Amino acid sequence: MTTAAAAPYNIGEIWKFVRLSLIWMGIIFGAVWLVSWVVGAVIPALIDQAAGKDAVLHNLANIIRLLTPLIAVMVFIPINATYMVLAERRGLALLTVRKGPNRVGPDGFLQTGADAVKLLFKENIDPEGSDPLMFTLAPIIFFAPSVFGAIPLLAAVTSDHELFHIVNLPTGIFYVLAMSSIPVVGIVMGGWASNNKYSLVGGLRSAAQAISYEIPLVLAVITVCLLVGTLNVVDIAWLQNPMALAGLDNSPQAAQALQRWESIRGASHMAAPSISSIGVNSLADFGFLNWNIFGGDKFTSYLALLAAGKYTVEAAIFKGLAALLLIISSFLLCGLYLTGACAEINRIPFDLPEAESELVSGYNTEYSGIRFAIFFLAEFTNLFIVSTIAVVMWFGGGSSPFPATLYAPVMQALAGVCGAVNEVLKGIGLPAILEATTLSGAIWAIAKTYFLVYFAILVRGTLPRFRIDQLMDFGWKRLIPLSLILLLTVTFLKELI
Amino acid sequence: MFALVGRSIESLRQVARGLGTVLKHAAREPITKEFPDTMPQLAGHFRGRLALAVNPQTGDHLCISCLQCERVCPDKCIQITSHKSPETNKPELINFKIDHGLCMFCGLCTEVCPTNCIINTNDFEMADYSRESLVYDLKKLTLTQDESAHYYSKKELPMPKPKPKPAAKPAAGAAAAKPAADKPAGKPEAKAEAKPEAKPESAEAKPAAAAPEAKAAEESAAKPAETQAKAEDSAAKAIETQAKTVETATKAEETAAKSGETQQKAEEVLKAAEASTKTEESSEKPEEKTREIDLGRVPAKSDEAAETKAAEEPKKEGEQ
Amino acid sequence: MTLELTSPELKTQEMIINMGPQHPATHGVLRLVVTLDGEIVKHVEPVLGHLHRAQEWQGQNRTIFQYQALIDRVDYLSGMFTSWAMARSAEEIDGLKVPKRAEYLRVILSEMNRITSHLLWLGTYLIDLGAMFGFPFYPFREREKLFDLFEAVAGQRMMFNYIRIGGVVRNPPFGWFDKLKQFLDEFPDRIDEYEAIVTENPIFLKRTQGVGYLSPEVAMNYGMSGPCVRASGINLDLRKFKPYSVYPEIDFKVPVMQEGDTWARYMCRIAEMRECVNIIRQCIEKIPGGTTEELRKTLGTTTPEKDDSKDLDPEWLLMAKKQNAGLRIKAGEGFSAVESPRGTIGCYVVSNGSDKAYRFRWRNPSFCNLSALSHLLVGSPIADVMAIFGSIDVILPDVDR
Ligand code: SF4
Ligand code: SF4
Repeated sequence: MTTAAAAPYNIGEIWKFVRLSLIWMGIIFGAVWLVSWVVGAVIPALIDQAAGKDAVLHNLANIIRLLTPLIAVMVFIPINATYMVLAERRGLALLTVRKGPNRVGPDGFLQTGADAVKLLFKENIDPEGSDPLMFTLAPIIFFAPSVFGAIPLLAAVTSDHELFHIVNLPTGIFYVLAMSSIPVVGIVMGGWASNNKYSLVGGLRSAAQAISYEIPLVLAVITVCLLVGTLNVVDIAWLQNPMALAGLDNSPQAAQALQRWESIRGASHMAAPSISSIGVNSLADFGFLNWNIFGGDKFTSYLALLAAGKYTVEAAIFKGLAALLLIISSFLLCGLYLTGACAEINRIPFDLPEAESELVSGYNTEYSGIRFAIFFLAEFTNLFIVSTIAVVMWFGGGSSPFPATLYAPVMQALAGVCGAVNEVLKGIGLPAILEATTLSGAIWAIAKTYFLVYFAILVRGTLPRFRIDQLMDFGWKRLIPLSLILLLTVTFLKELI
Repeated sequence: MFALVGRSIESLRQVARGLGTVLKHAAREPITKEFPDTMPQLAGHFRGRLALAVNPQTGDHLCISCLQCERVCPDKCIQITSHKSPETNKPELINFKIDHGLCMFCGLCTEVCPTNCIINTNDFEMADYSRESLVYDLKKLTLTQDESAHYYSKKELPMPKPKPKPAAKPAAGAAAAKPAADKPAGKPEAKAEAKPEAKPESAEAKPAAAAPEAKAAEESAAKPAETQAKAEDSAAKAIETQAKTVETATKAEETAAKSGETQQKAEEVLKAAEASTKTEESSEKPEEKTREIDLGRVPAKSDEAAETKAAEEPKKEGEQ
Repeated sequence: MTLELTSPELKTQEMIINMGPQHPATHGVLRLVVTLDGEIVKHVEPVLGHLHRAQEWQGQNRTIFQYQALIDRVDYLSGMFTSWAMARSAEEIDGLKVPKRAEYLRVILSEMNRITSHLLWLGTYLIDLGAMFGFPFYPFREREKLFDLFEAVAGQRMMFNYIRIGGVVRNPPFGWFDKLKQFLDEFPDRIDEYEAIVTENPIFLKRTQGVGYLSPEVAMNYGMSGPCVRASGINLDLRKFKPYSVYPEIDFKVPVMQEGDTWARYMCRIAEMRECVNIIRQCIEKIPGGTTEELRKTLGTTTPEKDDSKDLDPEWLLMAKKQNAGLRIKAGEGFSAVESPRGTIGCYVVSNGSDKAYRFRWRNPSFCNLSALSHLLVGSPIADVMAIFGSIDVILPDVDR
């Protein structure tokens, strides 16, 4: 206690937590980049070299290249979940004036590893009267979609790096949402197959809850898609990131960007005067105001045009009001999405399916050993993925929150580092894949995602749980009407600005 | 409709207030006590493992075998073996067993003890691998002089008065002979075997107290020769009555002689003990002023020391 | 085509669920046999006795002095009150007059114990409502602080064995009153924090307001007591209703709510904790002889040696009866009760003059309060079972004894 008594506040523990997080982040980044590099660049390059004129081998190299996103995600998810479990435990400990796990490894660094080993060595119990096949399949069905669903997001947060270009689907968000609603089948299966009343009730509750809350969630996402005019997650992220266009005045890239801009916007962007008249890169200095949570580029376009003096006074006031409404709507949409997502992944205050004081442990009451570990892993992965969706849809994907002029030196420094590393790699005859925009994008995306994850931890530390009928009331009588109203409002507002 | 909006805003505000309050706690100092690394600062009256104190000033064993604690214990976990000493006609302790597996640490035994001998220490780490090892015997229970002084000052107990009479308890020799005397007669070989056994036992019976007892005998100017003679007498008598062979008689004499040696050794030990008491006293003084000071884990160390001492003594005797 | 809800093919079936004895939310080992129609509770049958330890029988087979050490286990969350109830009965039989200082110490420590008990309830109740991971640690933090104080004065954190027939065991050690005052200074702020997190939280309000309504009549009929009935508008508090000890000299309010739902019970306990702080503050001021430091200063010593000397003002003593193994009380019988955190706890003692009592009989608040549970739960959804059960603050060893 002596050291703690010396510090008036909890600096020591917070610093430990930060240090832990940074180290883990380094591990996650390093591992994913290394794997992507090896699978996506080194191995195909070596095969190409060895192949000479053999077309079959060249094809093989290409196939391996295409597999990169999948393998990267497969590497990313377990390591990331390891950190998330630790972060949740230590984060909650911070909030509850405790220290949290700090025995295994320095500061509890390896705690999750120890837990995982423990779970792996535990007996896999099949409860009597259970359906063994379904019982085993349930955790897999719960877990697998989150892996596959995450892939398009990878392209969005890495600024469409060439290695991940393959997963740049035109209907990306559609695919992600479809995938993320499969896990509930796994829960129902697990609850049903366990032959336990509590599990069954938990599973059924989960189904009811997922159906109720999927609607506002999807409506919120659709509203944003309407606002931006595309379903492609890469484009949605790109539209919120005009910072990348800074300093491109009158260059061919600027023209290209404008072209891309207009192709995404299409006819929907017809309100005059248009942003095309002053150039998209004029939005670059608005920083985080470009994010969809503040009304996206609609709002910043308004600001830019206002600054350029393109509006009459009446138009300025009228459009200003509309922009204000749009911001409020966007905030509500974001809140709606986060609420729905919380319910979707069964976090407090919507953890009815595993309500401990009523249903013992809900659908995973009977699970043990590795199967329980998969449930556990999937829960955290789902949390991460819904946070990533929120980041891509509302918080600007991989864009930095700073105005481009302020952020430019950092970007230059990053570019310098990347260039140096690439030079070194090329020097020893290996392919290089590092890009400054991708690196910056990935770092910001992860930072924002973890911000949301910590927020979820904070919520978990505060709120009690709903009752099931209140939950349904809240979903059907409050959230769904609200989401419909917002859908309508935003549709109009977007044309008015 | 407006009421609904108002209510929603109010709800959100309250939720935000709650979240903020929880978040504020992140900056508070954690209350976790990292137990094995940092020992808790326990209060003096904390009721932990039971132990028998010795007189912190003189080192006399305080138990007078009044059996009060045995009687009062609600769980019946104290077992005292004692007998009437033939010389003084007073009860004398042979063994004292407390089953800590049964004890509920109510502290009633410590309240009724007339000499404040049995006390609750601050030790609470008694985990062990078997139930049998939770039964502590006299040797394990008796505290050293340092520990006793520590607990006496921490618990603010009044210092016990030194024993009025020159602890007429027979010195080590008689105690050594006693178990031997208890053995069935007519087996000289067996007795010869029993001898080395008997001695460690005697040392055990008075672990750290063996030396101080001798010291008490010294201090009160009771002639050592006399005591020794008495011890010789009693030992010889006891054995004679039971086994009438000459060999055993001579052996008994040997025993007695050795016990004399033991006594000499005890005197040496006593000097060291005296020195330690002095230092102990000097270190005690500041503590009396500031009552909050905790001696921490001092007892554990001296406990070990006492044990090794107790273990060494019989070994030396065996060599002779 | 209309759906015939009454047709024989579409019949519903009642389901019987065993909640407990091994269920994460039953406090202790209570088994509730719940008959459900869908999610609605039709019938509840509490099954008791899993924790029966024959407390009364044990008392009859031990000397009174020995039994004093066991009483704390009757209701382990409020050991002070159980020992107090027994001590008062015995004092009544014996006609003992307990010194004022001892009475004040009893009140201080009992009110502290009331706070710890309510804090534990607060934490576990929020767990029942599903706030598993954050909030419950805060009440426990304050509880730990109080336990440290208990440890310093009584020797242990929960099994105090402090209040005895005729008085209390010892004066608090040096510095104890200062620590207590420090705690009292910061504790109201802590309660404010709890309230900021919980009281106005919309989810909490939804879960508690209007849930588990207990009408005053029902409460009376079931013989309930404690904060449960005070939340239903009955001003039943033995400290006011049938004043004992030094309570008449202390100025305090008894919080009474009219709503009768679980929220009112929560508010009642929160208000009671604030009142406890108030009571303890007054006691520290009024205690004869002052704090330990002041007392020893008057006696001119720093050790407790003179605490029970004969020439002391009799009001400053701690014990009116010598505590020894042969402690006996006069023949006779007596019953007296005190207001514990859960309600009226009473002890009936029949003594035949020997060192063993002839008969002990406990009147436990939890037992009476629990009997109303089956009434409270019928008609509520299963998710509220734990919310309601938690709100009446039953402690199982107190039920089963
Ligand atoms: S503390 Fe209580 S139970 Fe333990 S030995 Fe002493 S009287 Fe017996
Ligand atoms: S009450 Fe004290 S003196 Fe008497 S036998 Fe027990 S420990 Fe020894």
